[in-house]
Amino acid sequence: MKNRKLEWDWYPGTIPENVLVDETAYIETTFSFLFYRSELSGGVEYGRGASTYLGTMFDVGPRGRVKLGECALVHGARIICDAEVSIGDYALISWNVVLMDTYRLPVNASERRKELELVPARQLRLASANVPAKPIRIERNVWIGFDACILPGVTIGEGSVVGAKSVVTENVPPFTVVAGNPARPIRQLDSKERTHHA
Amino acid sequence: MSQPATTNAGVWTEGSPPANVRLGPNTLVTDHLAFKRFHSKHIDALVIGAHCTMDGVHFDLGEQGRMVIGDYCYFTNAVLLCELEVRIGNYVVIGWNTTIADTDFHPLAPAERIADAVACSPIGKGRPRPEIAKRPVIIEDDVWIGPNATILKGVRIGAGAWVEAGSLVTRDVPPRARIMGNPAQIIGEVP
Repeated sequence: MKNRKLEWDWYPGTIPENVLVDETAYIETTFSFLFYRSELSGGVEYGRGASTYLGTMFDVGPRGRVKLGECALVHGARIICDAEVSIGDYALISWNVVLMDTYRLPVNASERRKELELVPARQLRLASANVPAKPIRIERNVWIGFDACILPGVTIGEGSVVGAKSVVTENVPPFTVVAGNPARPIRQLDSKERTHHA
Repeated sequence: MSQPATTNAGVWTEGSPPANVRLGPNTLVTDHLAFKRFHSKHIDALVIGAHCTMDGVHFDLGEQGRMVIGDYCYFTNAVLLCELEVRIGNYVVIGWNTTIADTDFHPLAPAERIADAVACSPIGKGRPRPEIAKRPVIIEDDVWIGPNATILKGVRIGAGAWVEAGSLVTRDVPPRARIMGNPAQIIGEVP
């Protein structure tokens, strides 16, 4: 596949070669790929009707992979990914959400110093310490409110809702509303709510 | 991020920074909005050390604001709001979309806030603004601050502390503490 431009794009970029885009998907701007450097085939995969808008940034390392399910809507999330971030079908992700599967820099201060001393010599000045990454799974039909942070290793179960500005540190069961910093379960969505609108 | 990383003098990718800004060797500042709200009248209002990466950082300094940043710091799209003083040490990392403010911007008392609203309005030209709380923010060496965090006025973050993503920090943080939450609480210590 050749590098592709978007006719409506304000940014003079292209969709990277190893990004798989369903023909029905929508990408507002290739600026989203400024920090994209995955070397995997399908480093980002757009499902049927998936879309990403301005503000969405794929900060994806060489071994990172991001999957967007059917009609997944990503409206401006910072996706910091060195392993895998999967966003399920019909998931809705609001603006300024952080999905991070890695901290990128060592927790130990003297190791972090060593990496910070290497960064200024790199072309994109990005950290690439060998910090373990833990995949993030956003299951189908999840809704994440604005400014929320999803930390490494978290799975958010089907149909759950994450309130605005929440910081999610632990797995969220299916059909659960969580909110707060750190996020706590508020309630379960009952079987009626799961099938009908209020 | 188009600038080669090997330049010796500090560089702003969009041109010459204001005259009272000093960038240390091999320091890189990006983004055309970096100094859009830079109003400080101080000599050496903003001093940044060597080998820093300030990618998309907004240096919003009021007339009286002064800011010092050490060496090997790495900030991504941070918003730094400074009306008085912000001091940041060496090897400090600040994540995407984090805000630091050393002021409340407006007074607490409702009556004073009315006076401030008038003074700030288009019809309030020249009217003095009421006194507004400002206290220095100090961030010591080796502090890591995650994305979407907020650091409020008067806070000192001790050396080596780890501020989790999304934290709202309203109080001093001891050295090497791990904190998170709104308001941020100590959840452990950095190993």
